[in-house]
Amino acid sequence: MQPTKIVAVDQLRKTYSHWSRRKSREIHALRGVSLSAYAGEVFGLLGPNGAGKTTLIKILLGVVGPSGGTASLFSQSCGSRAASLRIGYLPESLRIDRHHTARSALKYYGRMSGMSESAIGRRSDELLELVGLRGRDRESVRRFSKGMYQRLGLAQALMHDPDLLVLDEPTDGLDPVGRSQVRGVLEFLRDSGKTIFLNSHILQEVELVCSRVAILAAGEIRGMGTISELARMHGEPKTRLDLVPGNSTDRHRDLAVELARCLEIDQTLIQTLPLPEMIRLELTTTRQAAIDRAIDLLRSWQYSIISLSVNRPSLEQTFLKLVDTAVPPDGEASVLAESIAADTQSIASSATVSTSAENSVT
Amino acid sequence: MIRPYYAVILDSFHAAFASRILWIAFLAIWILLACLAPIGFREDFTTSFRIRDFENGTRLKAMLASSLADAKSQSPAVSQIVTATPADLKRQLERVGQGDEVRIHLQVLADALNGLLDTNDWYDADAWQGTQRLRERRELEALPPRELTDSQRRRLARLRIEAALPGVFSSRSARSVLLTYAGFDFPASFAIDKTQFLTLVNQWVVPTIINWLLGFVLIFLGILVTASIVPDMLEPGSLHLLLSKPVSRTGLLLSKFVGGCVFVFLCVTQLVVGLWLISGFRLEVWNVRMLWCIPVSVFLFAVFFSVSVAAGLLWRSSILAIGITCMFGAMCLTIGIIGGLFDTLVSGPTRIRDLAVVDDFLLAATSGGGLVRFDATTNRFIEIFESDVFSGDRVLAPVAMPTDDPNTSSFLTAQVRGGRFNPFGSGSLDLLLISSRNNWEPVPSLRLPTGTLRIDLLPPDRLLATNAGGLAVTTLKEVQRSAGEPTEPAAGSQPTDPNSSGTSSPDWIAKLAGMMGGATTGFQSILPRGIALTPPRRIAFSPEGTAIYVTGGGRLYRVAPVDPSQNSLWQITSEIELEGEISAPVVLACSDSILLVARENEPLYLRDSKTLEVMRTLSTDTGVAPLRAVSLGRDDSFAVLASDARCRIINGTASESDTPGASWQSSYTLPIREIEAIHFDAVTKRLIVAHHVDQIDFLEMQRDEVLAPAITTVRRIRTSLSSWRLVDRYVMSPLRMIIPQTGELGETVAAIVSGESSVAIDSGGIGDEPEIVRYRILRPVLSCAGFIVVMLCVSCVYFSTRDY
Repeated sequence: MQPTKIVAVDQLRKTYSHWSRRKSREIHALRGVSLSAYAGEVFGLLGPNGAGKTTLIKILLGVVGPSGGTASLFSQSCGSRAASLRIGYLPESLRIDRHHTARSALKYYGRMSGMSESAIGRRSDELLELVGLRGRDRESVRRFSKGMYQRLGLAQALMHDPDLLVLDEPTDGLDPVGRSQVRGVLEFLRDSGKTIFLNSHILQEVELVCSRVAILAAGEIRGMGTISELARMHGEPKTRLDLVPGNSTDRHRDLAVELARCLEIDQTLIQTLPLPEMIRLELTTTRQAAIDRAIDLLRSWQYSIISLSVNRPSLEQTFLKLVDTAVPPDGEASVLAESIAADTQSIASSATVSTSAENSVT
Repeated sequence: MIRPYYAVILDSFHAAFASRILWIAFLAIWILLACLAPIGFREDFTTSFRIRDFENGTRLKAMLASSLADAKSQSPAVSQIVTATPADLKRQLERVGQGDEVRIHLQVLADALNGLLDTNDWYDADAWQGTQRLRERRELEALPPRELTDSQRRRLARLRIEAALPGVFSSRSARSVLLTYAGFDFPASFAIDKTQFLTLVNQWVVPTIINWLLGFVLIFLGILVTASIVPDMLEPGSLHLLLSKPVSRTGLLLSKFVGGCVFVFLCVTQLVVGLWLISGFRLEVWNVRMLWCIPVSVFLFAVFFSVSVAAGLLWRSSILAIGITCMFGAMCLTIGIIGGLFDTLVSGPTRIRDLAVVDDFLLAATSGGGLVRFDATTNRFIEIFESDVFSGDRVLAPVAMPTDDPNTSSFLTAQVRGGRFNPFGSGSLDLLLISSRNNWEPVPSLRLPTGTLRIDLLPPDRLLATNAGGLAVTTLKEVQRSAGEPTEPAAGSQPTDPNSSGTSSPDWIAKLAGMMGGATTGFQSILPRGIALTPPRRIAFSPEGTAIYVTGGGRLYRVAPVDPSQNSLWQITSEIELEGEISAPVVLACSDSILLVARENEPLYLRDSKTLEVMRTLSTDTGVAPLRAVSLGRDDSFAVLASDARCRIINGTASESDTPGASWQSSYTLPIREIEAIHFDAVTKRLIVAHHVDQIDFLEMQRDEVLAPAITTVRRIRTSLSSWRLVDRYVMSPLRMIIPQTGELGETVAAIVSGESSVAIDSGGIGDEPEIVRYRILRPVLSCAGFIVVMLCVSCVYFSTRDY
């Protein structure tokens, strides 16, 4: 059965107009983005700073209107009341008014989501337990650490038991312990079947949690699929063998050519790298039959096999590869650079805010 | 659907209570209330004389001096009093009696009279035989002397002194309120009656608190605290989270706006409820309307907060929001001050106060002490006496003077130099004849009695002058003769004054008589003895001029000549005690058979013009005081101008007024607002209405069978405006409508708290009408409400359409 499409984005474009004293400038934040997220999956949106991730999320939340294309949630237009009722959102730099305690904040956001008082009370207890804030729920949020703050944000996003969780950099700025705690909650939610749309630039987090990933760069989707699909599409796994030549080494000076001929595979799939005391052989295949034959041949040619390893390309490598090839169309490179710079500045400034908030917390 | 917005508003309360500034404000309010709580009052009989009690000190001096010089010249009671005064004062009075110019300070006279209050030696029942005995005095005298308390004894002494010296004292309530603090009397003498006390609290104390404490301090504090609400909301981590909830942006902004008002609401509620409880428990003023100050103050704050919200949306900075709001407040204040100056200096002095019409000519007295004549050829008012806000002069209401010459139109009036704040003015007071024959140049005529307050044409051919102490008449022929106008040979002898001492009296006697306001040459005093013409005095006369109705000291008298055919003494033919507070102003008007008597907060009485018996009563609107009434000449109809600047037509014979509980609300109200003055021209049978400063309409009325008279406007006067008036109308007025007049909301508060649309300022015995200050109730409310709506609409559109 075809899974239900929760997030549907088609050819989404967003252009910001910026008027300065001299002239008006346009910044293309999104250039025809198309993606879908299905029920029950954890969808990760990856991209460098200034790629357009936050803009995409803002459009999904209805905070910003698109310049072109369509975006819908639950087949409802973004920002509609019906869609908003089914979304839980954790912003990147969450700001909860300082007069709140964890419990009063949950009450406030529960009311904002239209929940009844009894449901708020019941749900608050559950979520405070889930995010590990039970016992600290009567304390002012002024005394909360960044990790507690983020977990409280996660709880508020879950208050009305939404069908879709939109999380914007949920572990950004957290220490490893805090990060682990948040990730634990995310894994729990994933396992309990929640649909999660995760925006992050922490690749490890995405790799661990997400079932599908889209890589966004310069306002365009550069790759989308499961992590293994992305790896396959953008880099084959390799089998690496480190060899020490035997007595008959001279016979196989051109090892790659010989091996390709014997294994009946394309020569380009075999690379040799002479090292001081050994030879490194890389086969662009992980097929067991091919590896077995290669080992048999090498042993028959008196090569000693020092080590054998199978190297699959990491998400980081895939990400970097996709982002590095992200060359904007002619004439827009400078604009993109400015956009990225502006976004970086914005993040930097929000980081400053976060820091000051953290200082005030401590 | 509204639950999320309710959550935002509720959260504002939560945030406000978590604010330290709120608790500091609460503490300041509690300290203030604790300081005010010991204020109290005690009520006692009005006994001691104060300077303000003297309506005519000169008359008192003259009466005492006259009695000292010649005991028979005054009543025996005056002689008894003057005998008991301190020797120092007697010596000074003797010198006055000898014709010397001796200035005696009123406080000296007051102290002398106060010295009599504790003793009873000077009282002789026989000497007081002919004096007026008010009900209160009768009741106190009926009590056995031993049962009288000290206060009652002093009160009785005061009543006897007042009765012995008619025309000297202003009417005062029987009981006075003295303010106390923690049980101690205020160090300064501050005795006022209960009505004045209520007026003071409702129309001065509360609006002052609202204007300054709430209007400035709390609102500034509120802006300081709330300016960060919108910029904080626009922080990405806050705004995006809020907008991800099922709320509309407009609803969110409006909820934040309402929530921002919570801070001020909490503070104002504390303060106003505290003041209300203090005024209730300590001053016995349980005025529930005072609680209206809470929404009005929050409304006032909302004006400034709407600016703060818009600035916060635009610049996302609380500092800028505070700065812009303060600049806006300064602009409102400046426009308000300039507008007030225009009211005072430009339109105020030219307001028509009284008018008179002869043929096509019109003369009007203005509030600025000026006299103007309408010139049809230039469509302008030509000034005869300049209208000036700083002028100290006063012009008596002009009266039309019938003449035998069909080509001449004449008016009579007088200019009292320095009479704006002093009924007697300075210098002699001449009647002025202003006629077309003299090219509208004032020509002096007879000398008017000292302190003449108004003149009236007493049909058919006499002129009645009313002053602080009496009534005097003369003939129009005498007026013309004195002005040098050609007259027909005198039909009779020159009028003599049967009530006066005659021309054979020594000069100093005549001088004393003049000081007392007695008739001058050419005039005949007609006020019978026993009538104290004390404020609030008012006179009216029958259409034929055969009877004069006079009020004074809370009584109404009908005075008529003993023999109308002869130049004889006038006597009281009927008298009654008026209902209501003794010091409340009275309005009188007389038709053929009905005398209309109206007072504030009292029903309107239609009395038989001969017996003064009540024929019908009409209930009036609370808080609307009748100011002036004129008879419309037939059908016993009257036009009554009230403090709401509207004119109601009362039909004295209409059947609807026979029904119990009939009200003047059911009477016809002229469709003209902002009425300044009304006048009925008996010749043309037209009602002339001056409105909107100096616009004049001439109305003709035909009463139909049912209720409303058919009214036709037969003539309109809309003069060409002066340049300053043009600026006022086309620049200042629109500006004052666009820029919210927050300062004027104090007037709205005063109107709400007092329940009245105007405040009457005691004219101190000058003129027979108190000066009315009408509150601008609606304009500030409308301009402020309109401003809030516009600002919020702009803010909502901006917030809804902008990407964040």
